[in-house]
Amino acid sequence: MAELYVKPGERGGGLETLGPPFSPGWILPFPRARFTHALPFAGNKERGWNDPPQFSYGLQTQAGGPKRTPLTKRVAAPQDGAPRVPTSETSGVTPVGLPPPSSKASRPPPVGSCAASCVEPTDVPVTECETLLEDVLQPLEQALEDCQGHTEKQVFDDISRRLGLLREQWAGGKLSTPVKKRMALLVQELSNHRWDAADDIHRSLMVDHVTEVSQWMVGVKRLIAEKRSLSSEEEANGQKSTATAEENQTVPGVRQAP
Amino acid sequence: MATYLEFIQQNEERDGVRFSWNVWPSSRLEATRMVVPLACLLTPLKERPDLPPVQYEPVLCSRPTCKAILNPLCQVDYRAKLWACNFCFQRNQFPPAYTGISEVNQPAELMPQFSTIEYVIQRGPQSPLIFLYVVDTCLEEDDLQALKESLQMSLSLLPPDALVGLITFGRMVQVHELSCEGISKSYVFRGTKDLTAKQIQDMLGLTKPAMSMQQARPTQPQEHPFVSSRFLQPVHKIDMNLTDLLGELQRDPWPVTQGKRPLRSTGVALSIAVGLLEGTFPNTGARIMLFTGGPPTQGPGMVVGDELKVPIRSWHDIEKDNARFMKKAIKHYEMLANRTATNGHCIDIYACALDQTGLLEMKCCANLTGGYMVMGDSFNTSLFKQTFQRIFTKDFNGDFRMAFGATLEVKTSRELKIAGAIGPCVSLNVKGPCVSENELGIGGTSQWKICGLDPTSTLGIYFEVVNQHNAPIPQGGRGAIQFVTQYQHSSTQRRIRVSTIARNWADAQSQLKHIEAAFDQEAAAVLMARLGVFRAESEEGPDVLRWLDRQLIRLCQKFGQYNKEDATSFRLSDSFSLYPQFMFHLRRSPFLQVFNNSPDESSYYRHHFARQDLTQSLIMIQPILYSYSFHGPPEPVLLDSSSILADRILLMDTFFQIVIYLGETIAQWRKAGYQDMPEYENFKHLLQAPLDDAQEILQARFPMPRYINTEHGGSQARFLLSKVNPSQTHNNLYAWGQETGAPILTDDVSLQVFMDHLKKLAVSSAS
Repeated sequence: MAELYVKPGERGGGLETLGPPFSPGWILPFPRARFTHALPFAGNKERGWNDPPQFSYGLQTQAGGPKRTPLTKRVAAPQDGAPRVPTSETSGVTPVGLPPPSSKASRPPPVGSCAASCVEPTDVPVTECETLLEDVLQPLEQALEDCQGHTEKQVFDDISRRLGLLREQWAGGKLSTPVKKRMALLVQELSNHRWDAADDIHRSLMVDHVTEVSQWMVGVKRLIAEKRSLSSEEEANGQKSTATAEENQTVPGVRQAP
Repeated sequence: MATYLEFIQQNEERDGVRFSWNVWPSSRLEATRMVVPLACLLTPLKERPDLPPVQYEPVLCSRPTCKAILNPLCQVDYRAKLWACNFCFQRNQFPPAYTGISEVNQPAELMPQFSTIEYVIQRGPQSPLIFLYVVDTCLEEDDLQALKESLQMSLSLLPPDALVGLITFGRMVQVHELSCEGISKSYVFRGTKDLTAKQIQDMLGLTKPAMSMQQARPTQPQEHPFVSSRFLQPVHKIDMNLTDLLGELQRDPWPVTQGKRPLRSTGVALSIAVGLLEGTFPNTGARIMLFTGGPPTQGPGMVVGDELKVPIRSWHDIEKDNARFMKKAIKHYEMLANRTATNGHCIDIYACALDQTGLLEMKCCANLTGGYMVMGDSFNTSLFKQTFQRIFTKDFNGDFRMAFGATLEVKTSRELKIAGAIGPCVSLNVKGPCVSENELGIGGTSQWKICGLDPTSTLGIYFEVVNQHNAPIPQGGRGAIQFVTQYQHSSTQRRIRVSTIARNWADAQSQLKHIEAAFDQEAAAVLMARLGVFRAESEEGPDVLRWLDRQLIRLCQKFGQYNKEDATSFRLSDSFSLYPQFMFHLRRSPFLQVFNNSPDESSYYRHHFARQDLTQSLIMIQPILYSYSFHGPPEPVLLDSSSILADRILLMDTFFQIVIYLGETIAQWRKAGYQDMPEYENFKHLLQAPLDDAQEILQARFPMPRYINTEHGGSQARFLLSKVNPSQTHNNLYAWGQETGAPILTDDVSLQVFMDHLKKLAVSSAS
């Protein structure tokens, strides 16, 4: 880990002079900001005693990425077991002294560099204005309508009931903006037949906002599955009847390149 | 290869193995004089993104008592199409599929870089994964609500074709029938009466159709009895109904009067869960997931009565033989755990309550079956919620990080025998020529069953060198061990992972330096610690400490450099230099000290210690401490009170806790609000740095640790103060002359005193 942090001419900076020590250039090179926008979490905000912070679904599933060297280094105690007499490096500075002020040079770099990889779907400005209920619900209901006949009556009714719940809660102002925005995204993916993407958004909503969405989300989940199976069935039929003209077909289950 | 450190690291990455000794003493006598046994930490399913499994079956040695798998250490005669087993020297014909084999056309398993290889077995039925939720309803309202939401959420994370079932319990036990129709039915059992597997299956109606099917088609193992579908259904079919069912769960309706505990039938509920799976899906990957918010208070397996005025047993009660229900309860859960292991299922325990919940009695359920044990204060904490979510994380291939029903088989060259294993496993009692009579851990076998495991599950495996003294170094100069892990992958495929490793023999009299240089002190510390913790489960604490001390002294006598009776001359070489401090911290750790821990906490800590890999285990033994300051990059510092300085921020990782501690000056600066002033942006960054590093640790850790943000003088600073070496205490504070570090108010021995005594004993001719 040392190499990561090494900075030419490190140490020494302001030690001789009693003035402020050099600016900690080592702090800056890291994309530390990545956590700041991933952390806010819309679920249950209450925390238990010494409870760890909550990570969003996107952050949890984020496939690796360049990991920093893990913090697993140890220092060997000298063999006599006695610690080196530690030298407090601020021995010259009074304990209640001021923290060293930042110099201009040590401004953090703009965060933009890493942002792209860590942004969650919600952070993408899908809609500038408030997401509208009908924009989300209407396509869902349409999708359900398409499944009629394909889907068992009981499942159909069950999904329909849950969409009703969604409508009710949305209209009643019980849903938060991130949920609405992510639902809009989900609907978009659904209508583009990107089943895996839609399913993933459903999962992220369940993980991050379970309190808000648990009652009706399972209907949306089922709808995605039903629509998917319907679509692959149609496709199979389509392929049978017209074996030609398969240029612009969507392969179910395969995510298209964005 | 430049150094042993690199060699050790490469081997760990490739084969998931860390040996205490990487050059092996060639005789039994010399091996016992090495003090630390020849042993290894094995992570059978270590993640290998660079190792795609091969789609064919392994080639076995034809000797019936050997059956070792063809590997890069085998001698091959390409012309005659023969290979010689490197374990029993049997000459074997290659199977017909290998006729094209030649020096330039080798199958993967013969190439040196495939010392570890994974085979996918095509035959056999593929059955879905099974998740059986066993849910305590004697919870506070908000706790139950949080748990219900977590369970609903999990339905979105489970594989869609996985089977899921639900049992709830309070005073009664309810087995819920899952159907797509609107009506929900359940079978209710009394929580006071234990039932045999047969009775449970009869009452749930699991036996009849199965029998009729057997009559009709006597041999049809592939099809599961149709009836099981009433209680275990594919997630994609019943997710909507189950979501409602979970949503409608109510707290246990039986009134609980003042001064009483709710009646909780955990023992019977678990028994029914085990019996249900036993009757329907034996030998198929299944998790029984027990969620409980308090101790079992009635029926078989109860650990405390319902009178609140009688507290649950403490260590003190146990020492005084005053824990009334303990032995009986342990017996009940051990019986269940063993049955579960026989069936190839595993049991997870998620215990969330402020008081103890009986983990001491129930621990075997998780320990013997490879299940998880999670302990939290409440289900309404991010600690529980995220830990639970992480059970369902996926690997780089999009597969769940869980495997089931594994058997681990170990084969050795003739000069070695297997002494035992320590980890989340049970013995399969397979005797053979390579099994030692001297047991270390779970011994007397060359095969173990691990019902539930993940890519980090790690076993300690102990060996014995049996070559006679003064016998020549064995043929070929190398000894070999083969680890064969057969398991059910989360994709439901059967797979076999094979690792074949070899190490050089050395004559300990003439080549001690080689053996010494190849000592892996980290692995040795963890392996010795596992032995110590294993003993601590059955022996008195002080006896275990004495045993560990004796081993350490003997090791120092053997490998230290010193003049007799001159403690100041004592030195240890680099490859041993950290070992004494590992032992020092191990002695103080909650794995061996029960003071200040409840029996449940001890069981919890020991559970995790016996299954984590080397890096995590070492963090548990000696926590990691990093220091952040304006004077340079964050750096690892001594786990010592002298590292607690006013102008530093410390980040400590003990595995179970992440502690961020602000030194006195830093805390004052923060209080004064410098971080909010633009000209002190530096300071803001300094405060942020350890938080970010902590996030990184939190993201990868399972289970989620507690997260403690504290400062000089804060009450929670105790988490840090209790872990650092008390080099400065109230007793010697002024001897140091300087006001540095933080004195710890303790009478505990410091590392310095410990080392002084160790050296004195090591150089003494009397001991």
